Amino acid sequence: MKAAILIAFLLQGAASEAPLPDAGKEARAQTLMRELRCVVCENEPISQSTADIAVDMRRVVRAQIDKGSSDTEVRQYFVDRYGQFVSFRPPMDGWGIALWAFPFLLLAGVGGLVGFRALRAGKRDLTPLPDDRGGGPDA
Amino acid sequence: MIAELGHLLAFLALATAAAQSVLGLTTGGEAPRRLAVATGMFLVLSMLTLVISFVRLDFSVALVAKNSHSLKPIIYRIAGAWGNHEGSMLLWCVIMAGYGAAAALFMRNDRLRDRALGVQGLLTLGSLAYLLFASSPFTRLADPPLDGGGLNPLLQDPAVALHPPFLYMGYVGMSFVFSIAAAGLINGQIDREWAKRVRPWALTAWSSLTIGIALGAIWAYYELGWGGWWFWDPVENASFMPWLVGAALVHSLIVTEKRGGMAAWTVFLAVLSFCLALLGTFLVRSGVMTSVHAFATDPTRGLVLLAGLGVAGGAALALFAWRAPKIPTGPEFDPVSREGALILNNLFLSVGAALVLLGTVTPMVVQWLGEIKVIPPESASLSIGEPYFQLTLAPMIAVLLLFLPLAQAAPWRKADLSPILKWLTPAIAVAVVAGLVALALGGWGIWLGFGVLVGTWVVVGVGFDLWRRVGDGGFGRVLRLPLTVWGMAIAHIGVGIFVIGATVETATRTERTFPLAAGQSAEMAGWTFEFLGVRPVEGPNYYSTLADVRVTHGGTTEMIYPEKRFYPVADTSTTEVAIRKTLGGDVYVALGDTIRDQPGVWRLRIAHHPLIDWVFGGSALIAVGGFISLVARMRRRNPAVAPETTAVEPSGEKAPVGVVA
Repeated sequence: MKAAILIAFLLQGAASEAPLPDAGKEARAQTLMRELRCVVCENEPISQSTADIAVDMRRVVRAQIDKGSSDTEVRQYFVDRYGQFVSFRPPMDGWGIALWAFPFLLLAGVGGLVGFRALRAGKRDLTPLPDDRGGGPDA
Repeated sequence: MIAELGHLLAFLALATAAAQSVLGLTTGGEAPRRLAVATGMFLVLSMLTLVISFVRLDFSVALVAKNSHSLKPIIYRIAGAWGNHEGSMLLWCVIMAGYGAAAALFMRNDRLRDRALGVQGLLTLGSLAYLLFASSPFTRLADPPLDGGGLNPLLQDPAVALHPPFLYMGYVGMSFVFSIAAAGLINGQIDREWAKRVRPWALTAWSSLTIGIALGAIWAYYELGWGGWWFWDPVENASFMPWLVGAALVHSLIVTEKRGGMAAWTVFLAVLSFCLALLGTFLVRSGVMTSVHAFATDPTRGLVLLAGLGVAGGAALALFAWRAPKIPTGPEFDPVSREGALILNNLFLSVGAALVLLGTVTPMVVQWLGEIKVIPPESASLSIGEPYFQLTLAPMIAVLLLFLPLAQAAPWRKADLSPILKWLTPAIAVAVVAGLVALALGGWGIWLGFGVLVGTWVVVGVGFDLWRRVGDGGFGRVLRLPLTVWGMAIAHIGVGIFVIGATVETATRTERTFPLAAGQSAEMAGWTFEFLGVRPVEGPNYYSTLADVRVTHGGTTEMIYPEKRFYPVADTSTTEVAIRKTLGGDVYVALGDTIRDQPGVWRLRIAHHPLIDWVFGGSALIAVGGFISLVARMRRRNPAVAPETTAVEPSGEKAPVGVVA
């Protein structure tokens, strides 16, 4: 009898880490778990940590997703409690926009400059250089 | 005695490096050459004395007492010599002087070599001064302990024992690239000849760096116990930035060597790659990464590195600013040409490096701004991780790779894309089909489909290009393709394989944690894992808790044994995962902790990592391709092997010889 209770208890424990029945929701939860930092570990997301708090945080993520919260709301829930530090995804508002836009602006800016110079250089009648050595990088 | 001998040898190296730099930068000739060889030999011997101290467990040496232990297996005693700050700084100096000695032995005797040896002597001098006066590995203890403190158990692993030597071959190898760049600027000779002589060193350094980074990723994958191989951790990013710039450099050097173009930019990259290697070392070694606060409490190490970065980088940039206006620009070319393609490569790779730099230092800067109260401390915490890089760098690199097969087929000066696209059509079709299949199988994840498309396009496109180069000669000619072509093709195919592996692994890996008591089973993706319980096992210097897990899949049953090891000397636990290889990927089982309030129940983390070997195999091919290109160059330099010279253009158009001043 005691064993049966224990097993029931264990199954319940297992259930808390069980995936959500809805595959789509579970996938969203898994993605979020990879984006949230385990707050007692060193640079590790909660999806990968075996720490107790990570287990609890995973449980919260699943519960929130299950009750219909959006990804943004779940992220915000943790950011409100632990600060921006908890999210590996920097914010996409305020100065965070600069962070996200920088690489693309740099690429467009430098690329535009290089492209402009190349086009302005004018089109002489250039012909391909023939290569007879198999055209390797050194041909 | 032996530690004092090592100390003395390092001081001798300090003296020879000083003489090497003075004579290399002034008179030149035989003297700096001999001195460079001497510096290298002194430091190799000095490192050897340290290794002997570690092997003999001489606990009167402070470093050995702190980092070794009598129970440690012999190979990790040897690796322990560089598995700590002081020892790895000595390794840094050894490799730096080793590059100098190699250059002294293998480079042709002229002013470029003299100046390069001079600059390398200066860099070695600076590193040695830092080693001897700020972090000496030879310090003795007045009162030696009976036994040592042991190596960080996480580092007791073959991959990570080899990781620092390769990483430093890469990082520090950039120092010699830097030295030849500085030498070329001093001499006012940045031209095709200069590029030709830089390239072997750039290839050596960059390929070694590739291996070093890959070994680190493999180690993270199976030793840290969470199955990740790359986490955009600042430590990883620190090595990735010089890798990206190095990749840009080995490509731009081709343009400079073959066409005399992009020379100024190439020199700039050569300088930048070493500056980023120094910056990476600063980030890792100063403690600034874990916390700005930790850096502020003991800033010596960090400030010295930062000063070195400032002096070396500043001096090189000043030289560059002085000479750059006179560096020739090379012959004209159409934007659609191999030159144009390689410029595109450099544009994306260098913007990528800037992106990684921004993502790495921003959290530290924000934390520092909070520390000095410029922004409110409570809002001064920020993490930049996987989501940021996956949404910025990954698409950027994917777009770049779309051009790769075209670039490989494009001739110099001007390319006509329509015939190239025509014979590449089947490759495009294969790539699109592969992308669609991945989309359908992988649950319509758009990135998954795009990644597989790009990777397949690169692999198949490069294969088609190889076939085209073989021409009508049939299969027998495949083996007679020049080695340079093989180097390029293998590295590029490696990139494609890596991209497919990385995309599929990242998008479709599954992992779950099961709390299991002995006798219970877990099921995942058609695999059954029966947890039979744990038992204690004793290793040479650790106690292990070993789990017996019976795995059943498709009618076959086998036992696997994930472990947790406890190292009493270091008071640390590590995870030893059990990995079952299958054709499609790894089944990965890690033993977690017991559950609080539930004795006898263990957390078993089970994961499936599809195509993980493609990630490591692709990386290995990239490095192999780099080394083949290196061998190709070394063979070509020897006229007995290949009589043709490459400096003359077949078209008869002579590229201007870019001698400045």
